[in-house]
Amino acid sequence: MTDVVSLRQLESWMVVLLVAAPAGSLAAIGIPALVGRPPSERVTTRAVAIGFTVALLAALGILVTAAWRGFPEEVVHLGTLFAVGTHAATIDLVADALSIPYVCFSTGLCALVNAFAGLYLHREPGFTRFFVLLSLFGFGMNLLVLAGSIDMLFAGWECVGISSTLLIGFFHERRAAVAAALRAFVTYRVCDVGLLAAGVVLHHAVGSGDFDRVFVGAWPTARCLLPETTAGLAAVLLVWAALGKSAQVPVSGWLPRAMEGPTPSSAIFYGALSIHAGAYLLLRCAPLLDAAPWVSRLLLAIGLVTAVQAAVVRSVQTDLKGMLAYASMTQAGLILAEIGAGWRLLPLVHVISHAIIRSLQILRSPSALHDRHELAASLGGPPDAVPPWLVRQLPVRVQEVLYRVAFERGFEEAFVGRWLLGPVVAGIEAAAALERLVVRRLGGGGDVAGSRRRDRGAS
Amino acid sequence: MSVTDEDREAVRRHVARAANMLPAQGPIGAFVARNPLEGFEDRPFEAAVEMAAQLYGAEPYLAESVYREALASGRIARCDIDAVLDSELGPSAATLLAGGRVRLIDVLRHLLCVGLRHESDAAVRWTLTESDTLERLRDDLTGPCRARLLAGADPRLSGRAAERAVAGDLWHACVESTAGGRAALRHRGPPVRPRDLIRAVRPEIDLDDLVHPRLIRLVAAHLDQGVADWPLPGRSQGLLGAAAALFSRTGPCEPWTADLGGRFADIAARCAASEPSADVAIDVSVEELTSLGMPREAWADMIVASLVALQGWAGMVRQLEERPDLMPLVRLPTCLADFLALRLVFDGAAARWAARRLGDHPPARNDARGLAALWSELADRHPPDRGPGALSRALLLHQLAQLLGLSAADLRDLEPREVTGLEAVIHGFDAVTRRRLLHRAYERRLTTVVLDALTAMPPAPPPAAAGPRAQLVSCIDDRCESLRRHLEEVAPDVATFGAAGFFAVAMNYRGIDDWHATPLCPIIVRPAHTVTEVPDGRHASQHRSRQRARRWVGRVRGLFEAGTRSLFVGGLVTSVGGAVAAVPLVTRVVLPRWTANVSRSAAAWRPVRTRLELDRMTPEPLPDGTLSGFDVTEMAAIVRRLLEDIGLTSGFARLVAVVGHGSTSLNNPHESAYDCGACGGGRGGPNARAFALMANEPAVRARLAGDGLVIPPETVFLGGMLDTCSERLEWYDVDRVPATHHDDLGAFARDCDVARARDAQERCRRFDAVSLAIEPAEALRAVEARAADLAQVRPEYGHASTALCIVGRRRRTRGLFLDRRAFLASYDPDADPDDAILTRTLAAVGPVCSGISLAYTFSRIDPRRYGAGTKLPHNITGLIGVMDGHAGDLRTGLPLQGVEIHEPVRLMVVVETTAVRLRRVLHALPGVERLVRNGWVHAVCWPPDGGRPEVYDPSSDRFVAHGGAAARLPVVARSADWFRGSRAHLPPAFVGPVGAGQEVPE
Repeated sequence: MTDVVSLRQLESWMVVLLVAAPAGSLAAIGIPALVGRPPSERVTTRAVAIGFTVALLAALGILVTAAWRGFPEEVVHLGTLFAVGTHAATIDLVADALSIPYVCFSTGLCALVNAFAGLYLHREPGFTRFFVLLSLFGFGMNLLVLAGSIDMLFAGWECVGISSTLLIGFFHERRAAVAAALRAFVTYRVCDVGLLAAGVVLHHAVGSGDFDRVFVGAWPTARCLLPETTAGLAAVLLVWAALGKSAQVPVSGWLPRAMEGPTPSSAIFYGALSIHAGAYLLLRCAPLLDAAPWVSRLLLAIGLVTAVQAAVVRSVQTDLKGMLAYASMTQAGLILAEIGAGWRLLPLVHVISHAIIRSLQILRSPSALHDRHELAASLGGPPDAVPPWLVRQLPVRVQEVLYRVAFERGFEEAFVGRWLLGPVVAGIEAAAALERLVVRRLGGGGDVAGSRRRDRGAS
Repeated sequence: MSVTDEDREAVRRHVARAANMLPAQGPIGAFVARNPLEGFEDRPFEAAVEMAAQLYGAEPYLAESVYREALASGRIARCDIDAVLDSELGPSAATLLAGGRVRLIDVLRHLLCVGLRHESDAAVRWTLTESDTLERLRDDLTGPCRARLLAGADPRLSGRAAERAVAGDLWHACVESTAGGRAALRHRGPPVRPRDLIRAVRPEIDLDDLVHPRLIRLVAAHLDQGVADWPLPGRSQGLLGAAAALFSRTGPCEPWTADLGGRFADIAARCAASEPSADVAIDVSVEELTSLGMPREAWADMIVASLVALQGWAGMVRQLEERPDLMPLVRLPTCLADFLALRLVFDGAAARWAARRLGDHPPARNDARGLAALWSELADRHPPDRGPGALSRALLLHQLAQLLGLSAADLRDLEPREVTGLEAVIHGFDAVTRRRLLHRAYERRLTTVVLDALTAMPPAPPPAAAGPRAQLVSCIDDRCESLRRHLEEVAPDVATFGAAGFFAVAMNYRGIDDWHATPLCPIIVRPAHTVTEVPDGRHASQHRSRQRARRWVGRVRGLFEAGTRSLFVGGLVTSVGGAVAAVPLVTRVVLPRWTANVSRSAAAWRPVRTRLELDRMTPEPLPDGTLSGFDVTEMAAIVRRLLEDIGLTSGFARLVAVVGHGSTSLNNPHESAYDCGACGGGRGGPNARAFALMANEPAVRARLAGDGLVIPPETVFLGGMLDTCSERLEWYDVDRVPATHHDDLGAFARDCDVARARDAQERCRRFDAVSLAIEPAEALRAVEARAADLAQVRPEYGHASTALCIVGRRRRTRGLFLDRRAFLASYDPDADPDDAILTRTLAAVGPVCSGISLAYTFSRIDPRRYGAGTKLPHNITGLIGVMDGHAGDLRTGLPLQGVEIHEPVRLMVVVETTAVRLRRVLHALPGVERLVRNGWVHAVCWPPDGGRPEVYDPSSDRFVAHGGAAARLPVVARSADWFRGSRAHLPPAFVGPVGAGQEVPE
């Protein structure tokens, strides 16, 4: 019995280490850089490598001990942010059948990309910045994965979002990169509202954001304690949040643009971890979806529409990274659809497996010429360009129209511009006009020049 | 709207002119380094560079601060600055200014050598209120100068107070002097494109942001060589036809494209009706220019500016229009006129849309006259360059006055006319002029150092009676310089030669694993022969089974790759394939060299012995129009040509190795930029192999002997290939070397192994992340790992740092440490009485080497406009090029990581011949003569009898003997003694026995 207790103790220490180690390397290179003494390349990569290696060893340690004990849910309580009566916001980390495999893989990938980037970014201005952002991302990702409450999850989510934005705009001297970063940032902000609102709903409903106050049982068989309407509201808000990070229709336009950053960050963010953060969020809160079947069906529909749209758009992309972005989007859509269909383990395996394949492909994307040449040589000729099976079933005239649709990326841009942004912009302009009108009325109906004259008269 | 023939002709002419201003880079799979300013070569270098800088918005030279750093580090000497200023100013150098107080040359020297602060009026005002900079004297004043300034101070003051008073007083004097004058308004012509005119008044509206993403995707889809699974429908009808058909149906697009559907439907109909569509494109361009309200006289500029705005893509379209054979997989009809027409249709729609949002009286939708009026109004509002304001000029004068020792009293004594004169000198000596002169000084230092070294070279020793044990013929490539030098150090009885790396064998070559033949010869040559590599007789069945296995592996890999991207299969593959992909993901990143070795041994499973099908099989031409193989006459001509070129017609060693080169690296779209330029961006190994086979052929030798070129029977030729990245050296057809020569080959191969390890060591000193103390064996492992590492963006440095080309006998340069900076072509002036050999050598070497040098130079000077920028965000598009991010212009030129150590200087071509002969040879080569006369390369002749080198001076059209005191060359025993411990460019040294009259470095 004592053995088990000490094992639990050890495990909770390792859980803390998983979050603390990347945070430590973030501080080790971030603080000197902040006071104007950025560490050398060698120190930077070493520091980040130590952080991720320690975290990876801890993750593997947890995997072994938890497997030994049959993946019980382990909650590590680190403290309470505030508590008022029955309301409390706690700092909890949770290690269970969902978070343990996921954190192993995310930490491992971070460590690999760190090793890769140390060489790849050698002599690049912004070297330190890249690694600061990478460790911020690693910290945020592990916090997100291990979060025991929606508040912690939100904190991790935001770290992932901001590091993603800043890495898209890594080459900030180029306008296109900054515009793409802004696009991703705005999408994230709009969709993060969903997560924040879902947190508010949960706090309102049970007085806490802790998952074990909302769900009972261990993942994946946990059940939700909320009434259906509340659960449905929270779930639909979470789906809203997941759409942005996982680049689902209709807010997927930022993903192909996100390929403006350096290749390693594209690989880990948009091939592997960031793009699947939405899926992880929904897996974590899956009991809410179970409690609100209509939200599950909505998720299924959105996932399938995204998958089909992205698959068709992907087939006309002529740039490697854009093509891989849409290929990722296809699978991200499928994964959300799987979650919507009520599966739990399959999407988890799918996420991990897809992330490994895709990040390797993006890391290797500059080899495309080499690979294509080799493929053609072994096949005795280049492979034929064949449109997707779905497309080939259509009549030629329809195919031509569909090509245009695919070329315009499903007209998503125009749709968002006209139906989502258009009204917002019009609203803002109307409000501004109204304000000017009101100010003029209140100011006595004079124009600007008139008020200036009055000012002069007064002085 | 009717289009007149005159208009059509005008547009055609303008397009042809603009085409020359686009980058001349073909698909990236066969990268050939060329001068990005090739279209300007008919102008003198400096004029061309500065004109191109205006046109492209590029940098003409390096930044002033870089030259000043060079000045501080001694890379530029003070005497270079003086020499440059002397030759620039001539007798006017001593002109007196400021009432006779200073000389012109002193003013200019200070402006060149000291980084003076140039600030706007607002910045000066800020400095005045927020800092005390203007109340102190400069720190870098010479003693006398400082004393002279302080002499005017109130004697009661001392120390800081005196300095403050003097500096403050001087500042007031400067303000008073400059207050009266005014800098001349500089009217740069307003831009001609509506996009630029609109941006000048409404910076938030950028029409290119609307047009470019769509245009780029269209062109990319049109030219795609196999990225997209679903090709653009109708793309074989040309860009304009396909694009028009695609856009003729309207969709829920952005507002600015609302009118495009009808316009494109009309164009699509016309394209379908007429053949060829090029005329439609011209007509459409004329219509668009007219309806946009562009006056005819602005068409030329408008067309150039429109094409240059997306120069990478436009240049690619133009290259593929001229050379459709460069398209690697799919041959598509494409033309620049189509691109222009498409661009103008989009631009027109965007401009009309924007015009309706501008001004108080927007022109109506199709009102060309209204638009014309709008453009001219915007052009009038275009802000002129007002030049520096009064405070800004005062600041400059304040700094310069201190440097010149002019006190406040001096300034106040000046007549207004004299102040104006001084200011005119200062402002006439603008940034471009300063950078031009600094660049001249920068080049002059290198030229001087190299010519000093050539002058100081000890006379070539007489050839040894025994003759060399072995001979090595390599490419002239600067990367082979070090290998040759190391081999000569390791084996003093080996002689080396340099020849253009296709070794006179121009062929289409299909290797045993290739699915099609690729040309291996300079890009301007279209080969007339095809050579195939086939399995050797007994290995045929093994080859077949290996082919089958490879095909299976390829099929599975192809299915997996395609599967991960698709919808239905993808769901399956990506859910279960992760475990498979995890292995390469981890090993490739963590153990790159080990992974590469494993996959190489897997690929070499049951190796197949091959031979080249070199003989003419059938007299009929092959389907692609080439002949199969070579007949004896052709082979004899090739062998004779090469041997004569390099001056190897007698004194053959028992073993003559011919080594081509190529470069293998991973994750590097620019891989072929590191291959052999003389093989058109291919690998020269097969050429070397073919040459050796030809030279060994008894029938060929008999034919040659009949013509007087006797190759003794005991001489054996051997082909080889050097990988300049992994430093691997591979020998071909070793099994055919007769038993009598096995010992020679063994000894020679061992020497080569020592030499290449030392070469790897020399290369490693350039890589920041590799220790300077690395030993040769370790260095070899380090460069092998670089070649196999996915994360390595600097697998090798290619031609970076190249600066020199020497055409002459190796005897005269043997032992000279040239730091991998010199192309070395072998040429024997004594065996070339009528200069025929020199003519053909320079015809090949001149353009190739200058192209490489200028490509590196301009990519280094402006990585943004001429180079490809940093590799990190590169995204391969259509398998023909790279762009930054998701929809950008194609990046032409070399990536930053490849040129960061390059010193941007023009190539100095040293030819071992007399001035008279060189002049005659150049006269016969108009292309090369143009480069020399316009100063795109520095030409030097090096008299064969041992006289001083003579440098060609373009301004006086004369060869001037290199002067200067007789310098002594440092002597070291081994190259490593000279290069170890340093990452910087190294000056020449003599590597050889330390003897009398030579200086031994400590």
